[in-house]
Amino acid sequence: MKKEQNSIVVENVCKSFNVYLDKSNTIKESLLSLFKRNRKEKRQVLDDISLTISKGEAVALIGVNGSGKSTLLKLMTKIIYPNKGRVITNGKLTSLLELGAGFHPDFSGRENIYFNASIFGLSRKEIDARLNDIIEFSELGEYIDNPVRTYSSGMYMRLAFSVAINVDAEILLVDEILAVGDQHFQEKCLNKMKELRSQGKTMVFVSHSMGQVKQLCDRAIWLHEGHIKEDGNVNEVVEHYLKETA
Amino acid sequence: MRIFKNLYQYRELLKTSVKKEVRGKYKNSFLGVIWSFLNPLLQLGVYALVFPLIIKSNETNYTVFLCCALIPWNFFATAVNRSSFTMVENSNILKKVYFPREILPISVVTSEAVNFIISTVIIIGFVLGFGLSITKYALLYPLILLVQYTLLIGIAFIVSSLVVYIRDLQHFIGVFIQLMFYATPIAYNAKVIPENYQWIMRFNPMATIISGFRDIFYYQHMPDLQALFTLFCIGLALCCVGYALFSKLQKGFAEQL
Repeated sequence: MKKEQNSIVVENVCKSFNVYLDKSNTIKESLLSLFKRNRKEKRQVLDDISLTISKGEAVALIGVNGSGKSTLLKLMTKIIYPNKGRVITNGKLTSLLELGAGFHPDFSGRENIYFNASIFGLSRKEIDARLNDIIEFSELGEYIDNPVRTYSSGMYMRLAFSVAINVDAEILLVDEILAVGDQHFQEKCLNKMKELRSQGKTMVFVSHSMGQVKQLCDRAIWLHEGHIKEDGNVNEVVEHYLKETA
Repeated sequence: MRIFKNLYQYRELLKTSVKKEVRGKYKNSFLGVIWSFLNPLLQLGVYALVFPLIIKSNETNYTVFLCCALIPWNFFATAVNRSSFTMVENSNILKKVYFPREILPISVVTSEAVNFIISTVIIIGFVLGFGLSITKYALLYPLILLVQYTLLIGIAFIVSSLVVYIRDLQHFIGVFIQLMFYATPIAYNAKVIPENYQWIMRFNPMATIISGFRDIFYYQHMPDLQALFTLFCIGLALCCVGYALFSKLQKGFAEQL
């Protein structure tokens, strides 16, 4: 029963990447590198991270560049897997790591809605039911039937965000994407996310905009060089973070 | 078991990507879908012109004889070849979004199966056009197709995941398929192979499948059901082994690509 309350459990997770200074892509190169020392470095990105995020929480991950925020987010989505420890998630999960990943430039906006939403695991019927909401939210109007390659980057982002926000996920992982789009649309996205939060969805949010973080989240986790430096009330953590980085 | 749950949940993705691959293949060409007929027809034309000159064959109807084998062979060759590219082609999505990775090789094989079913029209056209008829044995078509599909799914799991780690494999596979073309009784009859090389026919799974299709369409008699059943079991085993390997290797896809 206790498990049900938790959306995301991260247990003693370590993650390191092999950074190949000259990655051998071919057998010839791999064979050669058996003889000479393989020039690679192990880079420890996350070191023994444990955290629990309960259902309905809105959590911000903050930290300087390279502190492991995005890696932690990718581990939660199961795009990559930890070297040690484990990550457990409960409930349908949507990630907005990079907007419009998987958009097909030659297909129309409408076709891409179907394709993109199906990547998130929706069935045809479910997409049909949401289609109007998605198009309306994106404010693309008549452009929705034009090929996506003709879109401006703002339109692209609006379409992608509209799909991701309308798939009814229980867990939403957002990686610093609200920076695109005009003031009006940013505002709209924030409002939508607040609405989702009030519906009891779980949110993990990576951002460098402390204003947005404070608006949206009640808890913040400060990552520093692969460790959790501080975890607690958003206002306190942000304050300490700003003091240290200033 | 998780694979079936995943596939069911992501059925829309499977459907759209199969559709995209079947339709998108000729999207920008002038003749469009006609190419899916024209391509094998032209290839058949070339082979039907050249092979009788170099191989002595006493088949009464060499073109039909060749056609019944070449079309299923193309299904095999393109499916294996394309599954070796699928992860690299889709690396963009693989790195950004989570979805069950097994969708990719499965949709490659499935879209090629759809193409094969469409081009079966060519086989039937040739059979009828050369004065043969379609007999009750043609009803076994779905059975042989299922055997080939199962086998290909197994191979696709293994090939698509290994290529991510060893890119060279792509080139080896191309050569290997070419070699296999000659080790499979496509342009010739398996009976003309000398006794001491007959083991190739026994161990080449495609030989069994090609002979099966040829039996039902060209010779019009019962195919070797026992051999096909054995191959089906091997195919299932290969799927299990392939999936186990795939699930293990897929964890590193996003980092390797």
